[in-house]
Amino acid sequence: MKKQLSIIIGGIQGEGIVSAGSHLIKILSRLGYYGVGSRRFSSRIKGGNAAMEITISTKKIMAVEDKIDIILALDKDTILLYKESLKDDGMILYDNILSVEEDSCCKMISLPITESAKKVGTPVMKTTAAIGFIGKILELPSTTLKDYFKKRFINKGERIQNGNMKVLEETLVYEETIHDAIKKPLVPPEEKIVRPVMIGNEVIALGALMAGCRFMAAYPITPASEIMEYLGKLFPKYGGIMIQVEDEIAAINMTIGAGYAGVRSMTATSGPGISLMTEGIGMAGMSEVPVVVVDCQRVGPSTGMPTKHEQSDLFTLYYGGHGDYPSIILTPSTVEECFEDIIKAFNLAEKYQCPVILISDLMLSLSPQTIEPLDYSTVEVNRGSLIKEEELKRIEEGEYKRFLITEDGISPRSIPGMEGGIHHVTTVEHSEKGLPTEDLSIRKEMVDKRLEKIKPLHQEKNIKLIKNGSSTLYLAIGSTFGVLKEAVELSSNKVDFGTLRMLKPLPIDALHTIFQHYEKIVVLENNYSQQLTSIIKDKIGYHQKLEGFVKYDGSSFTVTEIIEKIGGKQ
Amino acid sequence: MNSVKKYSNNVNPNWCPGCGHFSILRGIQVAADHLKIPNERLVVASGIGCSGRLSGYMNSYSFHGIHGRILPVAQGIKFANKDLVVIAAGGDGDGFAIGTNHTLHAMRRNLNITYIVLNNQVYGLTKGHTSPLSEVGFVTKSTPAGASDIPLKPGVLSLSAGVTFLAQSFSGFQEQMIDLMIKGIQHEGFSFINVFSPCVTFNKVNTYQWYRENLKDVTEDKDYDSTNFQMAMGKLIETDGLCTGLIYQNTDTQRETKLYPTSQTPLVQQNLNISIDEFNKIIDYHK
Repeated sequence: MKKQLSIIIGGIQGEGIVSAGSHLIKILSRLGYYGVGSRRFSSRIKGGNAAMEITISTKKIMAVEDKIDIILALDKDTILLYKESLKDDGMILYDNILSVEEDSCCKMISLPITESAKKVGTPVMKTTAAIGFIGKILELPSTTLKDYFKKRFINKGERIQNGNMKVLEETLVYEETIHDAIKKPLVPPEEKIVRPVMIGNEVIALGALMAGCRFMAAYPITPASEIMEYLGKLFPKYGGIMIQVEDEIAAINMTIGAGYAGVRSMTATSGPGISLMTEGIGMAGMSEVPVVVVDCQRVGPSTGMPTKHEQSDLFTLYYGGHGDYPSIILTPSTVEECFEDIIKAFNLAEKYQCPVILISDLMLSLSPQTIEPLDYSTVEVNRGSLIKEEELKRIEEGEYKRFLITEDGISPRSIPGMEGGIHHVTTVEHSEKGLPTEDLSIRKEMVDKRLEKIKPLHQEKNIKLIKNGSSTLYLAIGSTFGVLKEAVELSSNKVDFGTLRMLKPLPIDALHTIFQHYEKIVVLENNYSQQLTSIIKDKIGYHQKLEGFVKYDGSSFTVTEIIEKIGGKQ
Repeated sequence: MNSVKKYSNNVNPNWCPGCGHFSILRGIQVAADHLKIPNERLVVASGIGCSGRLSGYMNSYSFHGIHGRILPVAQGIKFANKDLVVIAAGGDGDGFAIGTNHTLHAMRRNLNITYIVLNNQVYGLTKGHTSPLSEVGFVTKSTPAGASDIPLKPGVLSLSAGVTFLAQSFSGFQEQMIDLMIKGIQHEGFSFINVFSPCVTFNKVNTYQWYRENLKDVTEDKDYDSTNFQMAMGKLIETDGLCTGLIYQNTDTQRETKLYPTSQTPLVQQNLNISIDEFNKIIDYHK
């Protein structure tokens, strides 16, 4: 019996391969297991090969294994592409309508996948058949499979629901090629808790809703679209609006308009969209409008590789935009942290009245995984120094100053509709009342006000560290942290490792304290120019100790690559 | 208190003496007063250029954004709080060069806002450069041999983009302009008012005199029906866009209400708390 097992389901793109993988993780999560999936697909919508790798484990897992136990092939390409990744005792299950030659590489079992779907349902139900066969091989309780599919197809109409249920039952009674020798039962899970399975983008959308966000303007882009799709579904029920607009420039400007008018607002995009939004983000900084921007990074520059993973927007987000303006950048490293951080993003945006950017990456945004319960009690909506109409009444008529210089640089904010709070907002340098000015001393005062207001954040810790007593520290942000964590757990060499939760302002004091303890700090990142390493060097030094370890071929690090780097054995 | 005073913040405009924009600013103030819009419920948003300064002279909430992007900002404001009266203003460069995309899509979206273009057919703030609405042959610092690109036609363009209210006027026709602004603000949907506004410093061709000689009032034609799309298109073609008055109005207001499918309460007043039961229901979907 195995504690951990990995499966690749592959077929032709557009056949529902990715959702099949997610269903399988959800079914196993209902039994108390943890799962994580990694999508592999090309830009083409139909025609190419699509594959989903999933790793199932009895413990929390954040990255898929490198080696696979089972290949389930709905097309021939899947076998050719992935058979080299099989473990020694691995096997290939394939649809018996494929003309596959016997291969000495491994056990090969043919299954009537399309046949079963056709026999009692329709050919598109073959992913249901595939899941049924895997369930049988893993010896999953048939009631769990049936209950899941019943719920899954409840709103799809009787014909689809009944068809899928029949296909599932057909596979569950099939015996011919599935004998006991090929079955791979799993060790029972530690606790039988039913946990949700979500992708980072869904959690970001849900977190935004919980944080009181009620407006989103966005332009579709891989790998960020799921955020607008999910909020488009959720918002109507809770009085919010998601709108698809003409481009990313409209998206950021509309989001700023709504933010200025007092609604918690966001947009989400990827690298190309960030490039287009940069002027707008600067405007939010200049006009002190709270706004949240999510960047789900992919391979750049330009169109790059839209469906491949990279972490190369750090420079543009950290340094980008003309002129000096404040912005805050959060970097969650797990799906659960996406929830926490998107809520934090909205609170920080209103507290500091500036743009807040949450950086994700393709793997974090799109990989489904079993997550720990999201904590409702941590949801907090703090609207910062949003002024009340009663307070405005106490100010002499015409004397309200929207950009009042205060000790902490944060000015009480009125929103349109409030009596006594009328003011002008301009992206031109302005006075406390918001009127354009060319006065040199006011210019300096205003720059100081805007940039120094976020300084207290430097003191926040915003670092997560796991200590094992090594003299080298390994750091990674975003989804790379999950792979690093798996690698350290599997490696014979246990090292100290961690992640940064806030990139801007960088937690300078905390980093100084930590770095002093190490001989070397290795930063793992998915880009060519060591962007994260460079930003840390720029802000706090340690040029001799800091070393970047990069990968930029469009895929994330594998567990094996990291184990090799840290000098351990698997 | 007279209406100009009520909606003015007493800042002296930095426009050149004789600029057509003074008349448009006054027009907005008089129209707002006529409609008795409470100052705090009025938001004037403007772009960049001489025209962009307009919002900074209003005694109302006002937003002076970046070049070409004021329509998205104005729509964001309206989405957030549909109880506000939102007027966007900008120049011909704002609306028909850098921001053309937003202009057309804002028309398609048909949110209940009013968009006033202060059209002087030249870039004044950069001190005299050609505009997408300048005529062929128009000499500027950037087109010393005369502009060669064919000018866009704001009227025909907006009708094809599905605009539901199109009016044109001229800084010299205060009464007509104010009347159209009132109608535009009252229109339940996107209203576009293109106002010819002479630049006395950098446009020596399209002067007050020139507009007076060349503009035709659509109401001179007794049979003119501004609800007739084909007639509107015809009039714009016949006059090469040089006509004033209410050119087209589609009074079917169904479209706008669809954007607010769930609630008549403005977004800004929505309850931000979601109960634990609702939260758990959402989470259950992912199990």
